[in-house]
Amino acid sequence: MSRAEELVLWLRKELGGNLISAEATAPGRIFVDLKREALVTAAAGLMNRGARYQVGVGYDARKSGPGFALVHTFAFDKDSLLVAIRTFAPGDDPEFDSLTPFIPGAGWSEREYQDLLGLKFRNNPNSKRLVLSDDWPTGIYPLRQEVPHDLMPPAAEEVAFRLEEAPPGTSIVPFGPFHASLHEPAHFSVYVDGEDIKGCEYRGFMTHRGIEKLAQTELTYNDIPFVAERICGICGSVHSVNYAQAVEAAAGIRISRRAEFIRMVALELERLHSHLLWIGVAGHLIGFDTVFMQAWRIREKIMWLAERLTGNRKTYGMVIIGGVRRDINQDRSQDIRVVLREVEREMLSLEKAILKDRTIHKRTRGVGYLSPEEAVKWNLVGPVARARGLSIDARRDHPYAAYDEVEFEVPVADSCDVWGTLVVRLKEVYQAIRIINQCLDKLERLPRNEPLSVDLEGPIPPGRQGLSLVEAPRGEAVHYVLTGEDNRPGRWRVRAPTYPNLQAVPAMLLNNKLADFPIIVGSIDPCISCTDRVLVVERSSGQARLLSRQELESISRQKRSGK
Amino acid sequence: MNATAVVINLIYFLALAPFLEGVMRKVTARIQSRQGPPLYQPYLDLLKLLGKENLNAAGHPVFRLAPLLAFASVLSAVALLPLAGWSSFLAHSSDLMTLIYFLTLSGFSILIGALASGNPFASVGASREMMTIIMLEPVLAMTLILGVVSSGSLSLLPATAGVSATRGFSYFLMMAVYLVALQAFVSRQPFDIPEAEVEILEGPYVEYSGPNYALFRYTLNLKRMFYSWLFVVGFLGFLLPEGPVLNLVIQTGLVLVLFVLISVVGATHPRFRMDQALKFYAGLVMLSLLAVGLRVKGW
Amino acid sequence: MWLWNKIKQLAISFRAGVVTLRYPFESRPAPEDFRGQPVWDHAKCIGCAGCANHCPARTIFLRDICQEVRILLYDSSRCTYCGRCADLCPEKAITMSDRFELATDNRQDITQTIELFMMTCQRCGRCYDLEIKNYIDRLSRLGYRYDSLEVRKVIQRSTADFSPEELEKTIGYERPGRLDK
Ligand code: SF4
Ligand code: SF4
Repeated sequence: MSRAEELVLWLRKELGGNLISAEATAPGRIFVDLKREALVTAAAGLMNRGARYQVGVGYDARKSGPGFALVHTFAFDKDSLLVAIRTFAPGDDPEFDSLTPFIPGAGWSEREYQDLLGLKFRNNPNSKRLVLSDDWPTGIYPLRQEVPHDLMPPAAEEVAFRLEEAPPGTSIVPFGPFHASLHEPAHFSVYVDGEDIKGCEYRGFMTHRGIEKLAQTELTYNDIPFVAERICGICGSVHSVNYAQAVEAAAGIRISRRAEFIRMVALELERLHSHLLWIGVAGHLIGFDTVFMQAWRIREKIMWLAERLTGNRKTYGMVIIGGVRRDINQDRSQDIRVVLREVEREMLSLEKAILKDRTIHKRTRGVGYLSPEEAVKWNLVGPVARARGLSIDARRDHPYAAYDEVEFEVPVADSCDVWGTLVVRLKEVYQAIRIINQCLDKLERLPRNEPLSVDLEGPIPPGRQGLSLVEAPRGEAVHYVLTGEDNRPGRWRVRAPTYPNLQAVPAMLLNNKLADFPIIVGSIDPCISCTDRVLVVERSSGQARLLSRQELESISRQKRSGK
Repeated sequence: MNATAVVINLIYFLALAPFLEGVMRKVTARIQSRQGPPLYQPYLDLLKLLGKENLNAAGHPVFRLAPLLAFASVLSAVALLPLAGWSSFLAHSSDLMTLIYFLTLSGFSILIGALASGNPFASVGASREMMTIIMLEPVLAMTLILGVVSSGSLSLLPATAGVSATRGFSYFLMMAVYLVALQAFVSRQPFDIPEAEVEILEGPYVEYSGPNYALFRYTLNLKRMFYSWLFVVGFLGFLLPEGPVLNLVIQTGLVLVLFVLISVVGATHPRFRMDQALKFYAGLVMLSLLAVGLRVKGW
Repeated sequence: MWLWNKIKQLAISFRAGVVTLRYPFESRPAPEDFRGQPVWDHAKCIGCAGCANHCPARTIFLRDICQEVRILLYDSSRCTYCGRCADLCPEKAITMSDRFELATDNRQDITQTIELFMMTCQRCGRCYDLEIKNYIDRLSRLGYRYDSLEVRKVIQRSTADFSPEELEKTIGYERPGRLDK
């Protein structure tokens, strides 16, 4: 009996009448519908059976269904299995049991829906505002269907997030929202005693601009890959591929092998440039700017390569639902091989120079220590988890695209600190190169006439669920899609790898030195914009007026003279 | 000798200090495979900063006075120096203690400016700066005392010349210690801890802008130049010829070489943490004491 | 050990030489197939609205001011250079050029406007969707469109027949203001 069947059987037995349905829509996916009362039993049971909590998804189904829906997804990494359990609450009583007491990693998801949908969670230990800005009026829940996407409530003055008081004997050093070591807005209020960090509080989501809302009200299925790509400035393809996979899974679309390999090349190129970027930034954060420049010099080759392949350095724009937009032909694949050879050679010498540098050891070893047990508890993902001895990698555990056809290793370190993440990332660079080379080999052997993208003959039926994982450079990214009417998803939820990792940062910071703050936060490669799901297109600001030079100057002058 | 020496001192230092920063930036850029800014960039930066508005973020008079005090005290220190083998006009009314006093005063002004600004990063920076001063000022003092031991005089000219009077074991030990400490004196990696941009945003200077900041930058440049100059004149003084012009030219050349060295070391190291650096500094102080002891013994 | 490591690091640096460009003093041409600013060929465009329907940034606007005249306006300030418009144009009227240095203080420099004289189609007047096979790429808004060119906003409404009332209504279109307290 496979693990999936076993789980379904167990759920039937344990929950009895509380189980509404359990179906396996695709291999490796089980979608379960439960009654609200059984949520905690089911979740706790899944956790006891070795599941890893991923994300909560809430949506408003009052029009089409029984009220508010809440989906929690769990991964069984050893069995390549994802389980999504969905519960409903009637529109006038949106209360669910909180999972946070026994799954700390669920805390943010629940607080998010408390803000966005007005759901309530019984027994949630921390119910502070998470996503909405502090001056957002209470009682307006932006993700509810009746709230238009371009609603602009008045900005209140003098409303601020109430940060906790510093514990006795410590003082607060505020990091952010704008700080040289945080490249995106986020706020850490760090409690220090001298130079020792004794705790910290995080306030983020300062760039939440509601991509998900936009997707379910304005955009259409094939617009979203391009918007998804702009969720993140570094792992754009991860999100567009992930979204496309989720829709394809929901709609039951099979894409061509060729397209899958091309998607993989894009993803791995992205991993290469992202890891090199991180290595550089890590160098910068410990004050070693030469590492920064040298790593970025190597990275630049990959950026130029991507520009030749896809037409843009960073936003590849390769993915649409049903396939990809550009082919990788013989010439291009030759190009890639040449560049990869150079990169590999340069990386070998850079790696040696970095790993042998005793001064770098001094700054990274033992810094940001988090034990493997804690890492499990916080559901860490990606290199941060792999540096703590957890061998998880969505490419191997839940193969998507054509990852089941290529060979690669998943490097793991056991030093449980920043040094470990550095080593893991360095090693992954070579694995990425290896994967791309294999993809190119396969692409050359595939028949030329395979279509790059498949055409859809009919509309995508509403109400289907799709769940997809992609191993982003920073860890596993989860996309959940519920198909909807009007050629657009009814709900699209993005969970970036930083979402779980960031929740564990306060634990990593504890008892380190203040000087290590940048590198510890940097070690998870925080992508605040992914986590907050920022969108650069702000369509409703009404401020899209261009200022002329004179105007700008006069405005700045006025500011200066304090008028 | 006479008053011109003072003027020459000041002009020499004021004119050359930003250029040396330019050299530093260019060398660093080369190591980082960058084009780098032109050598005259620091002058432009200073000019630009001087043309900006002075923001008194703290609204405290001490905050405004601190940069002036820092700049003035470092200039006073410079005015005393026996550049090119002349002793300055002020030399007969000053000695080593005056020099150390002025240097400490300039460091101290940075501290009070930082504390007056009330910024948490500035106060972290100030406390780091304070620890650095406490730990490293002895190294500077010991170096000069080495010269005092040999020459038996507290005046600047004999004391600096005395450092390299006997080139025994104590000389080489002190030279090594000074070279390491130099990296901290000029606040470059691995010892640019009080300023640490990514951690505490230039620490003590975080609230400063415009001309005030320009003064601090200039002070820093002058100090850097002073410490390198002291190395050249103290430890390599025996290489310098008699004639003042030639002496000055060779001095300048050696200072330049030293700056290249500092930049190379700075560009190839990460920043240490304060606790790691303190251990290091403690070692340096011990070694410098040892060197003085050895010199007293005549080694 | 330490010294050797440092020397090796320096060797890596110097072997690479200077890699940064003297940009902007030195121009850096874009590679072929680069996705720069899209350029419209007004002779080819038939005004089918395909590009406007699929622009993810919604930065192509169509306004029918009467039965025969349709204005197409492209505003580069919000364009993401994704190239979807060029992909989907049935007449290949759009090319992704190699222009990327687009900063300007005059919005007019990066705006392209085409006035199109429309024939009346036998079937529906505006029949782009029949040319596209892929179902999810078929447009949702057929017929006459009334986007606001002044505030550069796509109006999510269209009519099967030209409607002067709709035109009237959208002339003074303003973006939703702030909610009052
Ligand atoms: S390139 Fe993309 S964003 Fe720009 S106009 Fe075309 S479709 Fe719109
Ligand atoms: S898709 Fe092509 S033909 Fe149709 S309106 Fe746009 S540019 Fe014109």
